[in-house]
Amino acid sequence: MASRTTKALLSLGRINIPALGLNNAVSRVTYATALSVNSSSSKKGAPERNGRGFGSRKPRREAEGPRTEKMPVDQDWTAVYPAATPFRPGSVPLPVRMGYPVKGGVPPEKKGNLELIKIPNFLHLTPAAIKKHCEALKPFCTEWPSALDTDAKCDEHFPIKVECTDYVSSGLSVRNPSARIVQLKVKLSVLNLDDHARKKMLKLVGERYCKDTDVLTITTDSCPLRQQNYDYAQYLLTVLYHESWKTEAWEAEKTVADMEEYSWEGSPSQKNIMDLLLRMNVAGEGEGEEVREQLLGRSEVQEYKDSVTRLKNEGDNEGSVLQYKEAVKKVFNL
Amino acid sequence: TSGCGQQQEAVAVESELEPFSVFRTQESDPACQSEKHLGQFYTLPPAHFRPLFPHGLPYRYQQQVKTFNEACFMVRSPALEVISYLKKADYSKPALRYLFYGLKGSGKTMSLCHAVHFCYTQGWLVLHIPDAHLWVKNCKELLPSSFNSARLDQPLQATTWLRNFRTTNERFLSQIKTTHRYAWTKREFTDEGRPLGELVNQGISRVKSSSDVVGALMKELRLQSGQPGAGFRLAVAVDGVNALWGRSTIKKENKSAVDLEELTLIHNLRKLVKNDWVRRTLVLTTVTAWSPTQLTGFDSMDPFIPVSVPNYSEKEFESVYLYYLDRKWLQHPQSRTEDGKKELVFLSNRNPSMLDRICGFL
Repeated sequence: MASRTTKALLSLGRINIPALGLNNAVSRVTYATALSVNSSSSKKGAPERNGRGFGSRKPRREAEGPRTEKMPVDQDWTAVYPAATPFRPGSVPLPVRMGYPVKGGVPPEKKGNLELIKIPNFLHLTPAAIKKHCEALKPFCTEWPSALDTDAKCDEHFPIKVECTDYVSSGLSVRNPSARIVQLKVKLSVLNLDDHARKKMLKLVGERYCKDTDVLTITTDSCPLRQQNYDYAQYLLTVLYHESWKTEAWEAEKTVADMEEYSWEGSPSQKNIMDLLLRMNVAGEGEGEEVREQLLGRSEVQEYKDSVTRLKNEGDNEGSVLQYKEAVKKVFNL
Repeated sequence: TSGCGQQQEAVAVESELEPFSVFRTQESDPACQSEKHLGQFYTLPPAHFRPLFPHGLPYRYQQQVKTFNEACFMVRSPALEVISYLKKADYSKPALRYLFYGLKGSGKTMSLCHAVHFCYTQGWLVLHIPDAHLWVKNCKELLPSSFNSARLDQPLQATTWLRNFRTTNERFLSQIKTTHRYAWTKREFTDEGRPLGELVNQGISRVKSSSDVVGALMKELRLQSGQPGAGFRLAVAVDGVNALWGRSTIKKENKSAVDLEELTLIHNLRKLVKNDWVRRTLVLTTVTAWSPTQLTGFDSMDPFIPVSVPNYSEKEFESVYLYYLDRKWLQHPQSRTEDGKKELVFLSNRNPSMLDRICGFL
């Protein structure tokens, strides 16, 4: 190429000297041919229609529709999304729409939708994929003990359940500080606690106890290593158990406000009703303790006591209020 | 019963004149109302209305009375229940307390007023405190009490209440006599044996000592109604009784909150509501929008009979709807259709006050 152009220039140089008109035409012709050859050889793809003519070029195929149209219904999805990849509208055969709707319209479709690409998706973790993962992991696992086939048996033999999480990620470091957290769960019913010990334990433990499931959950994360946290959790459980059995001197100062449940004896409610009944039965009864005993023994008073206790402990739902009403009516013989 | 008989004769005459309306009943004596009148409206005779309710009715209802030119109460089961207890109760036993409770706007104050009307027609002395909340908040003037320097007085509220009390219970004021001597200031005093009316007038004219007058009045009534020889029965009706034990928003001059015990009026009212007096008296109360156990004063009120006031039932709703139609309160043409009625049910959830507000626009 370079040699050709120089030749052309040289010819131009020689011709230019005598007469310009004809020579110019000649020079133009030389330029033109040199340029045309250059341009045609450099640009390969431009004259497509003439592409075949030049040969040694890959046959370009037509752009086909998205792959979703050709996917069979029973295909292997794990092959489509084997790993975590961003959303590809052409690979997901679902008519998903996402985004803020156009005014008077619907959310935009998936084609060219940046919102769908931005968010994380779990298309690589379908149940079929998980099954394959489990199958792959099975050679590394040991067998489940055959004697522990029900949940009840597991709870019976292993009442304390310890939960820790392992994290896997790819990055500069494999360590994850959240892996040190240890959670220890135990049901209070398996621990040998008497009434006082149970109440003290509940007070010591506070929010870590769930009343509905009777489970005490101790979560430790104050130490840097998992093993340290596990030891600490075990230590906490032991200490709580032993401390709740002990009775300190200052526990005698427990007031009514500290009580967990409402106890009717000695409450103002009892006083009220006793006064009431005493005044009602003014004539004919003796004074003093026997009268009180007798009154307490009466069935209406017992019912009243039950209803007040229920009302205070359970809060008020329809049933407890109605029960209270009935009890009061009976006391007054309405 | 003779009163009822006469009433029924009058009823027979009137019903020939007026067209028969399903939602109304002519039985305007609460003593004679029974379950078959449930859901129907009865009209309060104007002679009763003026003296009985100078205070105590909800504001919207008062406006409705002015608009419709008549005061109609609906006979509902909570009020009927309490009235039946009132009729049956044995008054040699200590005072009984009834508590109306329910959601906001479900008709507790109206039920209380219905029961108060019953007491009035039976000839009892009615001590009606319209809204205990009014005494506990937004108090403009606070005076240190002349009687007990630790307490605080509320002269304005006390005088308004005394005035209303006088309107309601005119006839008793000359009958009942005081049993103690009360010295209001160094020079003013009320001797024993003077009629109660004088006590009340003293309180109204001398604003400064009005709270103490209220206290003295309550004490007198309490003492006297318990005696077998007294010629009257006392009914105490307190609206919003949970205000007596809650918190107050009143502040003293040094911006510290006032403890409710320090207010003379509240102190006396609490004594009144307590059960330590015997015979022939009873207390009706309503609680605003709460459930009974959450009352802080549960222990002082206990034992009491809680009466639930629910939203309108189907039948009661029908009644109210027909009443509004009859009074031409529902102007919108669509409110007469079935669909319109369903819409009203849906919007108001059959809550009486909601329904009242919605219909106000139609």
